[in-house]
Amino acid sequence: MSDTAPRNPVSAPQMLADALLRSVAGTTALLRVTGTNTDTSQSEVGLVATTFFDVVVSPVVMRKLRPSWKEGGESKYELLVSATSVESQLNALDIVSAQALFSLALLVTVDGKDYLIESIASNEAFGAPYLYRLLLREAGQQGV
Amino acid sequence: MQNAKDSFYMALRTRLITINPERTILVRGAVRPGILVEEAEAPFSQIPSDVFVLRWQGLGVDVDLDSTMAAEECEILYQTFGTQSFGGLDRGRLLSAMDEELVAFFQPFYTPKLNYTATPPGAMLTQVFWDEPGFTPIVTQRDRLSRSAKVLVYSYQEQGE
Repeated sequence: MSDTAPRNPVSAPQMLADALLRSVAGTTALLRVTGTNTDTSQSEVGLVATTFFDVVVSPVVMRKLRPSWKEGGESKYELLVSATSVESQLNALDIVSAQALFSLALLVTVDGKDYLIESIASNEAFGAPYLYRLLLREAGQQGV
Repeated sequence: MQNAKDSFYMALRTRLITINPERTILVRGAVRPGILVEEAEAPFSQIPSDVFVLRWQGLGVDVDLDSTMAAEECEILYQTFGTQSFGGLDRGRLLSAMDEELVAFFQPFYTPKLNYTATPPGAMLTQVFWDEPGFTPIVTQRDRLSRSAKVLVYSYQEQGE
């Protein structure tokens, strides 16, 4: 059953999430994003014919997930990303949704290390996201 | 060998546009035909549904010929959950449709070899050719139906390759 009580959306959940991220030593992440005009035969067969740029999101907090080690397996991490920061980048880059932004991201760089995005989830309040959670794993060339 | 792989993919891609122009995928902000090369895209934890994914596997080389011949094994993976608005009840039909598209875009079993590092792509002297696909049984995982087909792609090595 849904809560149908009338309530105006406020930015309190977003502000609270940002404050919590900063209070636990929130840092900065870079999303390595491709240009959107990449539909050329060269880009489809792996010839680099596209442009990359970094999108800065902050504050973020990275945490290592419970280890389930196996031979050759990479560690997995969860990156908690401020929705306020993502929203401001969407406006700046004229991208329609956070999902679209994350789908353009090839890599996420945190503290100089590169990670691949495995999946994306968001936490919402009053229909608006206040936190994005990215499941990451170490990029292959750096995996140990 | 890379030219053969590129030419094979581009041939299938071009034929798919003719066979079913509505089979598309949004990759890196661009709408493309619903076929892609796994090794040329960002890694994905699960292959996208309702599109064809080419995965290059085995390699054999015959040097006892006038020109060296390479045979590369390509696996084409595809899966579907059916139509969401239909409750996924049509997933069997959609997988059959993909089977038929795959059989159709394999024919004819050859294509000219092109060098895609040049713009526009440069025509080469030989052709890329392949045999009939071998299908694996359908794998059912809850509401997901998946299948793959394997094909051997042959090409002659030319000067400068």
